[in-house]
Parts: sequence; structure tokens; C-alpha cells
Amino acid sequence: MKSVKILGSGCANCRKLEAVAREAATSAGIDAEFVKVTDMKAIMAYDLLSTPGLVIDEKLVSSGRIPTQAEIQSWLA
Amino acid sequence: MDIFLRSMSGGAGNLAAYLAAHVLLCLLPAFFIAGAMAALIPKASITRWLGRNARYRVSYPAAAAAGSLLAVCSCTIVPLFAGIHKKGAGLGPAITFLFFAPAGNILALAYTGSILGAEFAFARFALSLLFGIGIGLMMAVLFWRDDASHDAQTDALFAQQASIGAAPLGVLLSLVAVLIAGTLKLWPLTATVGTLTLPLPWAEVWQATLYQWVPFDAAKGEEGVSLQGSLLILLLVLIGLSAWKGLEDIVEGANRWTWVALGLAAATLLVAAMRLTPVPGGVELALTGRALAVAAALVAVLHHARRLEADAWRAWLWEAWRFVKQIFVLLVVGVFVVGIVRQWIQPQWIQNLAGRNDVLANAVAVLFGVFMYFPTLVEVPVAHMFLDLGMHRGPLLAYLMADPELSLQSILMVSAIIGRRKTFTYVGLVALFSIVAGLAYGAWVDGMERVWIIGGLGSFVAVLVTTLGWLLGRRAIPARV
Repeated sequence: MKSVKILGSGCANCRKLEAVAREAATSAGIDAEFVKVTDMKAIMAYDLLSTPGLVIDEKLVSSGRIPTQAEIQSWLA
Repeated sequence: MDIFLRSMSGGAGNLAAYLAAHVLLCLLPAFFIAGAMAALIPKASITRWLGRNARYRVSYPAAAAAGSLLAVCSCTIVPLFAGIHKKGAGLGPAITFLFFAPAGNILALAYTGSILGAEFAFARFALSLLFGIGIGLMMAVLFWRDDASHDAQTDALFAQQASIGAAPLGVLLSLVAVLIAGTLKLWPLTATVGTLTLPLPWAEVWQATLYQWVPFDAAKGEEGVSLQGSLLILLLVLIGLSAWKGLEDIVEGANRWTWVALGLAAATLLVAAMRLTPVPGGVELALTGRALAVAAALVAVLHHARRLEADAWRAWLWEAWRFVKQIFVLLVVGVFVVGIVRQWIQPQWIQNLAGRNDVLANAVAVLFGVFMYFPTLVEVPVAHMFLDLGMHRGPLLAYLMADPELSLQSILMVSAIIGRRKTFTYVGLVALFSIVAGLAYGAWVDGMERVWIIGGLGSFVAVLVTTLGWLLGRRAIPARV
């Protein structure tokens, strides 16, 4: 079971990232738990300068952009 | 019923005027530029100057540059503000960044320029820059203890280096060329190269119908819907529909609708750059120097965009589309409401309150800006309404300085990060600086001797510096500004 965190205050990009990540997990058949982090202090605990951020198993894998489904699947694998 | 109709036609008329050619030629390229800035400029190329060890001569200008180049949306503004404050250069540059971002970004400047004039946009830019740095410095001195207690984390966040590549730079510059070619009111752009009369007999009837639907009063500065305007509105609707199918999933790759949407956007720019006038029995199509220049710049954009990597151009189009979704809808609604409200405000009210350039008028304008919250960019049509109703340009600038910087949203956000006491100080400083900015610009517009304005601004700065020096002198430990 993978832990996936979406960092962002709820702007359009964060919602899009969540949709893409969920889609990526579902289509690859990977079991993952999704958590949305909206609190600014909690977000800043991961070193990033712009949202949305994607955290997989407590490791920040991307920030400030929306990765493709293929990229997310390679991180999840 | 009559009152209702009058309000509705006021709203529709205002909206139609804003969707006219000159606004589209500014807004459409500005959305693409904003998207390109968000997606193609590597953040590290600017943020590396914002680390905690940066000298203040570097970090304050870099914070302003970050505000103008990186921060078109709150997705970047909030984390970057918190990052600069907590892990980077400290409170001062963070405040400079926060103050300058809403006024100095490309969308705000381009839009202000096309609605209120280039001179006004320049004054907004220059005074925001000067005062943004001033307020940042003051905050850093007042709350120097804050910076002394930097948390002992690494500087890794700001240590990355990057520079912008040739293809993204080419795209950005040629987009700026589209914007300039579309908006500058200079020969040879305004010259007519050739005319062509299309035999479309329904054009005159359609124009008459449009004027009947949206009646307007030229004396009050209102504009009706022209034939060209109606064509542009139709094109915009088509862009919206095709973009929804073509750009919503652009991160996964382009489809047929993507090219339709982009083609329509280019066509809209070209139509807006030409001049269509209904004549008896048809439409006269005037090919302007502007249309040729816009076409040339669009070819340059295409040339450079083809050299972008797949990830880069997809991210660029996605960001541009996101800005359109986020801002354009609000703008359309806002402009419509402004048109309705305008029917109810008597010009005398505005002229009595803010028709002159004095301290009271500027203070009223700032107060209005603080308490009114308009979504992104809607402050510009609101300002245009006040200008038409007889507001002096000085207080108008004061209002424009205070409104976006001090929206309720930004006050809440700032106080969550830096605490209430600092936030109130910040709000007070912004109000003070906005009033001074309005007075200075108003005096400039009234044709006051340049020496007096520069002298006045100079003595204001001198008083501030003396106060700062005194505050610093009272402290044993020198503040790290």
C-alpha cells in the first residue's frame, strides 16, 4: 500500500493533480492511500516553492507542475 | 421593469466594450505570456538569489523580480512568500515580493495599460516597485528580531541553480512582441495598408440590430457593440468550447481540438488587429500595419514553440488555459456587474469625494480599496468606471495600489504566516504608502513642477530613512536588513 499526499491549498492545479494521480494509480492497478494536505505549515515541511506538490511514501517527487500519468506510475512502481 | 432593463443593458454594454478589439489584443497574448512564465521560466533561476545568505542589495530586487515573473497565481504566491520568509532571505524580501506580485505581473500591467493608458500602467509599476522595496525594508527593520530567529534549516530550497533555455526565451519574447504589436498606438501599426469590400448585404442590418440591442450613450463614455465586436465574441465562444475539449487534458498530449483552439486564438488576434466597417451593401475590410505585425509575431511564436520539448509546451498551454479558466470568467462577471452598478452612481458623488488630488481624497480612495474586495484584475474596470465618473487620477492610483495588495484574502493569508501584529503593521504601511503614491502621481498629472514632486518624494524617503536610522540606533544589535 503506497501513501500518496497531494500538497496544495485547493487551487485548480491541486485538484487536477489529484485527479491525474488517482487515475494513474487506478489504471496501473496500484493500491494507494490518498491524503490531501492543505495546511500551509504542513506543506512547508516539505521543501517546495510552489504548489501543487506530490509526495509518495513521504518523499517529495514533484512540485509546481502536473506530471503525466506515466511519470506518476513510474514513481509508484 | 424599466429600471431592470436599464441595468441589464448597462451591464451588457460594458461587457461588449471590454470584449472589443483593443482589450482582446492585450488580454489574449497576456494569458499566453502568463502561462509561459509559470511553465517555462525555471523558478530556481530567480529563487537562487533569495537564499538566507543573499545580500539585501540582491535579495530585494530579486524578490521584486520573482513577484513580477513567477507569481501570477496564488499557487506560487503563498508557498514562495512563506518560503522566502521562513527559509530564505527573511521578512523584508518576502513582503516586497508580496506587495509587488499583484501590481507587477504581466496580466495586471497589460490590462491596466490597455484600459487606463500606458502612462498609468507605468506609474503603477514604478511606484509599486519603489514602495514595495520601501515597505519590505521598513518591515525588516521594525521586526528585526524575527529574522534573527531564523530556523536552523538548510538553505537547500534556494540553492538550486537554473537558467532559461533558448527556445523558451524565444517563445516568451515573441509573445511579448505579439502583445506590443497588438496594443501600441503608433505609426506604422495604425496605418492602413489596403482595403477590401466584401459583398455582405446583411452586415448593415446586423449592425443596426446590435445598436438596438445594446443602446449606448457616447457622452457618458459608453461604447456600443460593433460588427467586429460581435464577430470577436463569437470567436471567443468557439475558442472556449474547443479549448475545453483540447486543453483540459493537455498534460497527456494534444488532440485535434487543441489545434482548433490555438488556430482560433490566432485568428481572433488577426481579426482584432484588422478593421471591419459596415458600408452600404457590404463590409469594408481594412488591412492594417498592426495586422501584419501581429501575423509576423505569431509566426515567430510558432517557430520557437516548435523547438520546445513536449513537456514544456504542454505545461505552457495548460498554465495558459488554467489562467483563462481562473481569471477570465471572474473578469466577465465583474465587468458586467460594474456596468450595472455604474447606472446608479451619480458622478457628483465621486467628484465631491475624490475629484481633487488632496490627502482626504487619496485617503478615501485607499479606504475604499481596503474594504472592497474584487477578484483578480476586476479592480481595473472598477477603476475605469471611477475615472469616467470624474475621479482624479491621483486618488485613482492610490486606490489601485491599495486594492489588490490589501484584499481580505491576502490579509488573512499573510496573518496566518507572519502573525497578526506584523500584518497590521504591513496594512498600515501599505495604506500610508498608497496615499503618498496617489498624491505624487496626482501632482504629476496636474502638471506640478517636477522638482517639487521629486523633492516631496525625496523628503518622504528622507523622513523614513531618519526614522529607520533612529529605530536602528535604539537597538544594540544591528538588524540584518
